[in-house]
Amino acid sequence: MPRDSEDRSFRYPLKWRIMDGLNAALDLLWPRRLGRYTGWALLTPALLLVGILVLGLFQIAENSLHTLDTSTFLPGEEYTLANYLIVAESPTYWRIIWRSLLGAGLTVFFTLLLALPYSYMMVRTNKAALRKTLLIVLFLPFFIGQVVRAYGILIVMGSSGAVNDALGLVGIEPIRLLFNFPAVVFGLVQYMLPFAVLMLAPALTAIPRETETAASSLGANWLKVFRHVILPMAKPGLVGAALVVGTLSLTDFAMPAMLGGGSQDFIANAIYDQFFRTADQGLGSALALLLVALGSVIAGVVIAFFGAGTLGMRGRK
Amino acid sequence: MISRSQRVIFWCLVWFCIVILSVPTIIVVGASLTGGNIIAFPPDGLSLKWYRQIALARDLQQAFVRSIIVSLICLAVSLPVGTLAGIALTRFRLRFANAIQIYLLLPFTIPLIGSGIGMMLVFGSWHILGNIWPVGVALSVINLPFIIWSVSSSAAALDNDLELAAASCGAGRFETFLHVTLPGVMPGVITGGLLMFVLAMTEFLVSLLLTDARTVTLPVQIYNNIRSIITPDLAAVSSVFVLIALLAVWLLDRLVGLEIFLKSK
Repeated sequence: MPRDSEDRSFRYPLKWRIMDGLNAALDLLWPRRLGRYTGWALLTPALLLVGILVLGLFQIAENSLHTLDTSTFLPGEEYTLANYLIVAESPTYWRIIWRSLLGAGLTVFFTLLLALPYSYMMVRTNKAALRKTLLIVLFLPFFIGQVVRAYGILIVMGSSGAVNDALGLVGIEPIRLLFNFPAVVFGLVQYMLPFAVLMLAPALTAIPRETETAASSLGANWLKVFRHVILPMAKPGLVGAALVVGTLSLTDFAMPAMLGGGSQDFIANAIYDQFFRTADQGLGSALALLLVALGSVIAGVVIAFFGAGTLGMRGRK
Repeated sequence: MISRSQRVIFWCLVWFCIVILSVPTIIVVGASLTGGNIIAFPPDGLSLKWYRQIALARDLQQAFVRSIIVSLICLAVSLPVGTLAGIALTRFRLRFANAIQIYLLLPFTIPLIGSGIGMMLVFGSWHILGNIWPVGVALSVINLPFIIWSVSSSAAALDNDLELAAASCGAGRFETFLHVTLPGVMPGVITGGLLMFVLAMTEFLVSLLLTDARTVTLPVQIYNNIRSIITPDLAAVSSVFVLIALLAVWLLDRLVGLEIFLKSK
């Protein structure tokens, strides 16, 4: 019932009173004079959440300094670098590390080779529908997830899969396409392609079309335009994409595990095996820390050479 | 102008990309519709029997429910945390802002196997391993940069004066936040939330490290089943993921438009 404002029982709407209460509570809990720390207060939950990862790294470092006592199957008490020595002296681990590095290098090369024309065509096309289609083709696998994508590749490239069927039509005997090194690299390229294109596209968008027209009006053919205009101007994007693709494939687990059939282990698979097959946590931790260090060194070297702008971080050149 | 040889070469490469990106997906969906008992493409007669099969399979069903729970927990943790952090990074002048940004990018720079093993050890020492909720928390940690990035790009576009105007009209700090700041960053919050949910649904490696037989999530269950035997029922489960991905792409396009990812910063 509407009442006139003279009425003694007039009260503010419930929503206002709740708001006033919440404001008062906020003033009590977080007085205005603390205003300069408000940013930090809002940031604290995120800092703590990421802190779990830092804790985890410390725990890995701790674990890596104890060897497995084979009589009790418990980590030993004393601190030792023995686990790192085992890794350094083992030809098996060196082979796995080289395989991972080679796989990552090849993946970067082939992914960029495919991603560059893809993003170039996507950015330069005048047809909105075509651009949308190329984007959807890119985003769909990104959201499907690695396991299901690897499963798709298993089906397509299996001994009775579509690829071998197609080869059979032109009279080629079925060949074993899976469970070897090229299969793992192929899986990684397929997995990384969307990442690379999405990192390259903004860099290519930033290049004005006119620069290309200018270059070709001065007599450069398209290879020269690419070599002297596009590649230099897209360098930050290319370096960023190479870095992301390289570190992600260097540390990948699923593709070597599923498409390599156990014979093409990368470092991540070796770490997993140490934890879940051999139950030697110390050795596994040493490998894990070495992998983190390897990734950071590569990222550090690339950023030192090309600047931090490559990762889309603001400021700091 | 694009010359002819360039056009031919580029289109060949683009078509190769399209084929390797899409064909496995199409074949998985096709294989799930087979009437036969083995994976075959073209399918051996159309039927939905494998979908009936997975609807009855208890282990897959439970794994699916667990995946949903894990994703919801991931959302419940990362939405508030990521939103506040995204606002803090753009709306407040902080000292050491560069160092904080590098720190908050750690989930992307530490290899997933390292993060996963580290969290496994930490959760183990806290005696919470073997539950479902730590998996959700872990997934919110490893994907946190996505939501922070998406909220801060919304927050950066918000005019500072709006908050001042609200305050000068008598709004308290809480009201200003609720009625001005939060609606302003809402597009970023929704996009980030969508990314977090779908990425948590499909996440594999960290879930593999943090789950056991009783808490296994759907991607890990698929991985385990592939290791033993490849049957068409897995193709049917995979098609569920394809459907989720289709929904996610459609939603993302409706919410922000996919073209936003082509813009140069």
